[in-house]
Amino acid sequence: MQVFIAQIINGLSLGSIYVLLATGFNLLLLVALIIHFSYPVVVVFSMYIVWVVLNATGNNLLLGILAGVLSSIVLNVVSAPIFQKVMKKRGEVDVNSTMVVSMGMGFIITDILSHSFNHGFPIAYPENLTGGAPLFRIGLISVQVGQVWSLAIGAVAVSAFFVLLYKTRAGRAFRAISEDPAGAKLVGIPIVRTGIQSYALSGIMGGMSAILIAMLLHSASPGLGDMLAHKVLAVSIVAGLGNLVGGLVVGLALGVIEALIQGYAAGSWSNAIAFVVMLIVILWKPKGLFGIKV
Amino acid sequence: MAQNETKTASPSGVPLLKVENLSVSYGHINALKGVSIEVFPGEIVVLIGANGAGKTTLLSSILGITPSKAGTITFDGQRIEKKPVDKNVRKGVCLVPEGRGVFASMSVMDNLLLGAHHNLQNKDKNLERVFGWFPILNQRKNQVAKTLSGGERQMLSIARGLMSAPKLILVDEPSIGLAPIVVNDIFTILQMLNKEGYTILLSEQNAYKALKAAHRGYVLETGTVTLTGTAQQLLSDPGVKAAYLGA
Repeated sequence: MQVFIAQIINGLSLGSIYVLLATGFNLLLLVALIIHFSYPVVVVFSMYIVWVVLNATGNNLLLGILAGVLSSIVLNVVSAPIFQKVMKKRGEVDVNSTMVVSMGMGFIITDILSHSFNHGFPIAYPENLTGGAPLFRIGLISVQVGQVWSLAIGAVAVSAFFVLLYKTRAGRAFRAISEDPAGAKLVGIPIVRTGIQSYALSGIMGGMSAILIAMLLHSASPGLGDMLAHKVLAVSIVAGLGNLVGGLVVGLALGVIEALIQGYAAGSWSNAIAFVVMLIVILWKPKGLFGIKV
Repeated sequence: MAQNETKTASPSGVPLLKVENLSVSYGHINALKGVSIEVFPGEIVVLIGANGAGKTTLLSSILGITPSKAGTITFDGQRIEKKPVDKNVRKGVCLVPEGRGVFASMSVMDNLLLGAHHNLQNKDKNLERVFGWFPILNQRKNQVAKTLSGGERQMLSIARGLMSAPKLILVDEPSIGLAPIVVNDIFTILQMLNKEGYTILLSEQNAYKALKAAHRGYVLETGTVTLTGTAQQLLSDPGVKAAYLGA
């Protein structure tokens, strides 16, 4: 029973990161009208920035966190004109061309990480970020301070996002564009400016995810971005592309499933088993559990 | 002092909207070939024409959605043919699109507030006025727009336009897909708004009802203006009668 509870906590904290990443990905899909496949790779780049700043400042947490969030916002907003340009050149809104831009960005970042940081070896985060000794431990299973934090911050961040989406002027414009971009333009919503706001907001969520992943995993490597990118894309498609509530449920579920497999079966198979589960779901419901909303 | 005139006041003064020699193409197809129209403050002007004559293109070029190839559009003394839609909405042009065009999955209130996106500081005053004209929308303000009837959606679409505090309301084919009795309601509402001081440019295939409600009209045929006059003149024109009034 203790193992079960511990793995539920671990699973929810991992899942809350998937939720944040899937929400940022879906926001870009719905409002900026791009498929940013490599959004999680950008997040891992910010994780490296956090590491560099922590090393340079003698593990100053505040500066490390600020650098992580700011770098993520900047990277997202700076990529906006590239995406917009490619879409414009192709005439209409065209998610396929944006996918190629995103993949290219992902490859470049992964290569930079494997050449220019720590000789390509995995990086480790200091204890003042990850929280040191576990809260409790049963055999190989433990619950860390970082896990509880990531669950708490993830919950607050996702709630704040939904409040913003449903209670504010910007959120209303986001929903209007996601339902009908041409209609939103017609009523006078500045499409480009609102699109850039959505890049900035997914940057904020990506930066927070970068901190939370560092707290949870205690380390990062150049290949982490691709792994997360696959999972976030899978979560979004299994939930139904663009479905924010679906991403919330499926993101948490994937985290819990992975943690339970690690708790009760061969942990090294957790990715394979999780993807088999998702394969079955997508065969059963091709448009996702909650329906496509794009 | 225009008492010796009929109720259709003759246009005078400075036009609120002046479109000159406007040309618009979609690829090789010339949708508008040098169209010129004028709308004066306080008027209801109707564009009559068959499907594909260029009515919707003209309205969407005025708002800035469809880029023009040549010609000028002057609104309220300023050239607007190169300006983006959101700037034109701010200046006081709004479009009530064909087929109602409301955000179906959003609430009535959200739809109204979207109309006031640039203008939220005056939203309470504008909501009060809009709910005064459309009490049904007040009753349904928390409902999702797709639960409204066709006529209610058309009212919501007009009300959303009014939330932007427009000087000129462009209305594209308001009668399409509506029951005749509802069409009468919509024209009554447009005339009422006109009496409240709004200037309206409307496109219609339902020429008879539109001309009954309007002051003046333009007949569009394959991208050119072929006839213009007061609503009375157009109603009695033999060509218009034959082509658009089924007489």
